[in-house]
This record gives sequence, C-alpha cells and structure tokens, in this order.
Amino acid sequence: MIEVHNIVKDFRKTIKKPGLAGSVASLFRPEYETVRAVDDVSFKVPEGEILGFIGPNGAGKSTIIKMLTGILTPNSGSCRINGYIPQKERKKYVREIGVVFGQRTQLWWDLPLTETYTVLREIYNIPDAQFKKRMGFLTEVLELDQFISSPVRTLSLGQRMRADIAASMLHSPKVLFLDEPTIGLDIVVKDNIRKAIRELNRNEKTTIILTTHDLSDIELLCKRIILIDKGRLVYDGELSHIRDTFGKVREISFTLADGSAAIDFDVPKHEDLAVVREGAQVSVRFNTSVIHLPDMLAKILAAARVSDIAVKDIDVEEILRRVYTRQAVL
Amino acid sequence: MKIKAYLPFISGGIQSQLAYKWNFFGFFIGEIFFTFVMYYLWKAVFLHTDTGIINGFTILDMTVYIFVSNITQFLTGTDASYAIGEEIVDGSVSMRMIKPVSYDISLLFNEIGTKVVLLVLIMIPVFTGIEIFRYAQTGAIAFSASRLGVYLVSSILSYLVLFYFDLCFGFLAFVLKNLWGFNLLKGSIVRFLSGGMIPLVFFPAWALGILRFLPFSSMCYTPVMIYTGNWSAAQTLASMALQLFWAIAFWLLSRAIWNTTVKRLTVQGG
Repeated sequence: MIEVHNIVKDFRKTIKKPGLAGSVASLFRPEYETVRAVDDVSFKVPEGEILGFIGPNGAGKSTIIKMLTGILTPNSGSCRINGYIPQKERKKYVREIGVVFGQRTQLWWDLPLTETYTVLREIYNIPDAQFKKRMGFLTEVLELDQFISSPVRTLSLGQRMRADIAASMLHSPKVLFLDEPTIGLDIVVKDNIRKAIRELNRNEKTTIILTTHDLSDIELLCKRIILIDKGRLVYDGELSHIRDTFGKVREISFTLADGSAAIDFDVPKHEDLAVVREGAQVSVRFNTSVIHLPDMLAKILAAARVSDIAVKDIDVEEILRRVYTRQAVL
Repeated sequence: MKIKAYLPFISGGIQSQLAYKWNFFGFFIGEIFFTFVMYYLWKAVFLHTDTGIINGFTILDMTVYIFVSNITQFLTGTDASYAIGEEIVDGSVSMRMIKPVSYDISLLFNEIGTKVVLLVLIMIPVFTGIEIFRYAQTGAIAFSASRLGVYLVSSILSYLVLFYFDLCFGFLAFVLKNLWGFNLLKGSIVRFLSGGMIPLVFFPAWALGILRFLPFSSMCYTPVMIYTGNWSAAQTLASMALQLFWAIAFWLLSRAIWNTTVKRLTVQGG
C-alpha cells in the first residue's frame, strides 16, 4: 500500500549567464533559481496494482520515484509505503523494495554477473534454497543464461537491463519501482521484461510502479495510469477511460491514385475534424458521433479515386500529445 | 549492523582489484620509482653534512623511513573522496541508497577488499626487502615481529583516520559538484603534513608541537615511527590513542555530514 500526500520537491539551480563573462560573473556572484520539479502530487496505490507513470521528459516522474524510494527528501508533503516513511527508516524500508533506474546500473561493473547476485543474496540474507529457485525463475523468464558468467561491462544494453531487472526482483520485493525499464531496448527484450513484470505481479501480488515513454508498456501492463506534466498530476485513472473519451475519434488515411487530383467532400464541421494532405497521401480525422464511419468512407470513395485506404484508431500517444498541449481536458 | 551483509563487499573489492591487475602494477611501479627518487635526494643531502646525522636521523634511518613511509602510504591510501565525489557527480550514489546497507561501511569494506590484495602481493616482499637492506647495512637483524604487529594495528588506525577524513572531504562534492582540483590540493597537504615526505621532527619545534596533535600525524607518521623503532612504549601508546581519537572523531563527523546533506541531495542527471 502506497500513500502519497501533497509532495513537493524544489531544486535549486545555478543560473549562468551566457558566455565567458557570464561564467566569470557566476563564479563570484552565483545566482540561483528555484525550480519546482514536483508540485503537490497525491495518490494512492493498493497492493498488487501495476501503476504506470507517463509524462514528457523532465515532467518530474523520476523525481517522484526517487522520493518514493527514499533517495530524495520531499520539501513538503509525505509518503508512506508499507507503513514506512522511506527517508526515516531507509535501511528497513529498502529491504522490501526493488528498484531499477533504466539509465543506471546496480550491477558490479567489473565482475561477472553471477557475482552481483551472490552479493545481493548476502545483503538481503536470502536462504540458499529460495535463492536457487528464484535464480532459476529469473534466468528462464529473462533469458540470462547466455551471459550470466560474463563481466557486466561486456554486456549489451538489453542484456544489462534484463540483468538489472533480475537483480531488483531477486529478494522478492513487495514493491517494485521501475524507472524507464525498457528505454532503448528492442522488441524482443521488451517482451522478456514485460513477461517478467507480469508474472511477478500475478504470482506474488507485487505492487509495481513504472515510468515509461513507451506507451505499449503501459497498454500491455497497466490498468491505471498517472499522467504528470510540469511536476503536476494531470490525470489519475483508468487507461480505458482515456480510450473511451477519445475512442470515438477515428482516422482514415488513403493514397490517391492521381496525386495531383483535387478532392472535395462535404463533412459537417466539428472539433475533431482534421484533414492533412501530403502529395498523394491524405489523412482525415473525425468523430464518429458526428459522422458514421461507413458514411465517411463512402464520401471519400465518392470524392476521389483511391489506390489504398486504411482506418486507424486514435492511439494513446496522440491522446497524450493533446493533453500535454492542453487541447484536451480529461 | 550485521557484518555478514558487508563481507561480500570485501570479496567484490578483491575481484575488482584483480580485474585491473596491470593498472595496479603500473601504479605500484610508479610508487617504487618515486621512493627511489626520494632516496637519492636524501642521500645527496646526507653526503653534504659533516656528521652524517640530521635531526637525529642517520642515512640508514632515513632510508628505512622513506621506504616504510611510502609503503605505508601505499597501503593506507584511500580513494573514498574520489569514489564518493564521483558517485555524487554522476548520481550513482542513488544505487547505494536503495540497498539495505550503510553507505560508509559498504564503501569501507569494498576498499578493504582491494587492500587485502595489496597486503598479500606487495607488503610481504617490500618489508622483506627493507629488512634485508637493514641487515646488509648494519650486520644485525633489527626486525621484531611484535613491532611489526603494533605497526600493522597502527596502520589500520591510520587507514580508518584517512578513510573517514577523506569521506568528510568527499562530501564537499555535494556543494562543489566536482572535486578533482581540491583532491589534488588535499593529497599534497596530507602528504606533507602527515610525514609522508619528510619526518615530522624535521619541522621547526613550534610546528612539530602543533602537528603532533593534528590528525595528519595519525595518518602516516605514527605507524612509520613505530616500525622504525624510534619510539618508547609510552609514546607509541599515546600516539595510537590519538589515532583512535581521530578515527572516531572523523567517523562521527562523516555521519553528521551525511545525515544533514542527504536531505538536500539532488541527484544529477535524471
């Protein structure tokens, strides 16, 4: 159970004026500005839920994760996880959590991968039998066996990330924080990682909080999402609600047989209507509550000779883009 | 504190050290070279004295002092400020904080692992060499196992003083964000004031009076003087008590700094 109440985090940044003169000036009289990275965010996560954090770069997702894991201390507000205040009882608290920061590694750089796991076994005091069973499970799901005895510095990004995820799951944490766990990975590795996350959640009721840029992570893993933008919580709720709100929007894209032909069809004007044309490629976005899909298709086919046509759902990415740019309110 | 949780850090340290064995041999050869440079410098100085004695040191005393002080510095040297500075600058300090271990103790045990390798590979041949040299010069065996034992205990205290001093220093990275220049400055000051370059008795009397009680003498001078056998039992005990005092003082100081700065920690780079 995770409870977060009104957390705020400010960072102090040095302002450097441009150029050499600016560098010298800031050497003698540094100026600071306060940046509010996280602004009054509250939420709750029940046990066993997978919660997805999404937001553009610099929105404050990682800062929130760092406060939840006890690395950063909020300026105000509080978080309580499994009954612990992360900053107060750090050593006891971190025993029960697993953390992956996609851009960092907790593996021992110079040592073979297995050594990291041995060190972790000692740190978390995992009994031998349990450790063996756990390693077996993780090796299988994350396919670690090809590189488990290689030094970590020789691993590829995908291998390292799978190894890092395994390291975070080794001690059967109650809560797992995954900050960008699939960043820069190919589709096969992403699948491995998602499978591991799902199995852990299903078998052990592990609460999982993950941040990502990859919306397919969210679509495949989370029912609930939190949207962060400029440090503020923009949306907290079911992913399906977003789909329902925007689900009536469809996009038809087609290729004209004659690229220079003019097209003209008569559609009632409404908010979601947008026609984009690039040479022979045309895409039309519209709301099906204003005009039905078959009617729209008929209109297009009547208006132009078409060599190819496709109907698309509006994707989550597009929805988020609209929310971020404040074209839509959830 | 459960000591068992920290033992793997020792073995990790040993293995990391062995992974870069050539790096470490290069460093060692550099130190040996530096030691010989110091030796020949002092030899030239002693040749130009009438009595062959400076501040109570003969050329033989000086030679033993130079070699023992360099090996001591090599054994007790610490990279704590460098390690913590780098971890703070690149943000990997967060990876230590998500583990149920103390920051300073995991770092300490990690480094002790690297020291184990040094002890085995370097210390035994170097001390054997020093004793053979002493024997060749005087014709008498000056080696005493009990003195070596006391020297080792004192060296461990030296190391702890240095480690926690360096850790306190390393926390400056929270403020300065980059420690490289300050680390060089600190290294020179420590080497000079700890007796690493010249025996502290070579300083003017008033300076010696102060330096004796500053933490620097506890970092190198004390174990070296114990090994060379120039000190009485009373002076040895008093100096080691002072080492213990400084080790505890810097340990407490590092705790206090850590507890206050960790609240203001900003992790750089995402």
